[in-house]
Amino acid sequence: MQRRDFFKKIGSVAAVGAVIPVMSFAADAPKPVSPNKMDYKVAVDAITGGKAPVKSSKVKLKVPEIAENGAVVPVTVEVDSPMTDSDYVKAIHVLSTKNSNARCIDVNLTPANGKAYFSTRIKLGGTQEVVGLVELSNGEFLIASQSVKVTIGGCG
Amino acid sequence: MAEERKSLIKIKPKRYKDGEIVKVSFMVMHPMDTGMGKDKKTKKIIPAKYINSVKFNYNGKDITTMTVWESLSVNPVFTIYMKVNGKGKLTVTYTDNTGEVHEKSKKIKPKG
Repeated sequence: MQRRDFFKKIGSVAAVGAVIPVMSFAADAPKPVSPNKMDYKVAVDAITGGKAPVKSSKVKLKVPEIAENGAVVPVTVEVDSPMTDSDYVKAIHVLSTKNSNARCIDVNLTPANGKAYFSTRIKLGGTQEVVGLVELSNGEFLIASQSVKVTIGGCG
Repeated sequence: MAEERKSLIKIKPKRYKDGEIVKVSFMVMHPMDTGMGKDKKTKKIIPAKYINSVKFNYNGKDITTMTVWESLSVNPVFTIYMKVNGKGKLTVTYTDNTGEVHEKSKKIKPKG
């Protein structure tokens, strides 16, 4: 028992010793903050203007379930829409729930596109959800989301 | 600004007819630094440098405009669809948060 106590004491001392330098270092160099820090909920409200988006199967979000490298995650958003002058997809927004800036990209489409489709590659800081938010020409908002497991974070 | 960036516009399929809907990808070699990463050698924070906005212009008409934030990958790709409407020119312009402007254009020549 004595031996165990000895190791416990040593362990606690070592832990305290390890924490103090880390803390002092952190105080010296503040953690860099994203230039446009924005939470997910704030970002959604900023896009929709307070309207609640409707979950829809019309929005097809294609993201890998497991992304080995968070720095390159392919995202494809496709919307089932005729893309005529009276009925078209106005905008496609790609968001992430836990990145320091939730907004990734806003794409403003026109009927000249012919097809509501957008594809790119994004960075994810950790395991989280990728959200595709779609604005229709009649003012409605559709949403689709999928969680992505990230093994190596890609931010910073 | 002085740095010349490589970019590419790809159209699929290669041969297309008038009125067809084609896939257009714009790729650009850009660092897309978030302003949060550190240089491993100097331990200094790399200043933010990312694309702000991208514009697809076809025959003088903006068909697609994008507002971009820093969470896009290094060397980003933007893929959209476009309806071919006669001969013309497709121009893609991007702006950077540091004021860098880059332009790339490709001739649109529908066959048949």
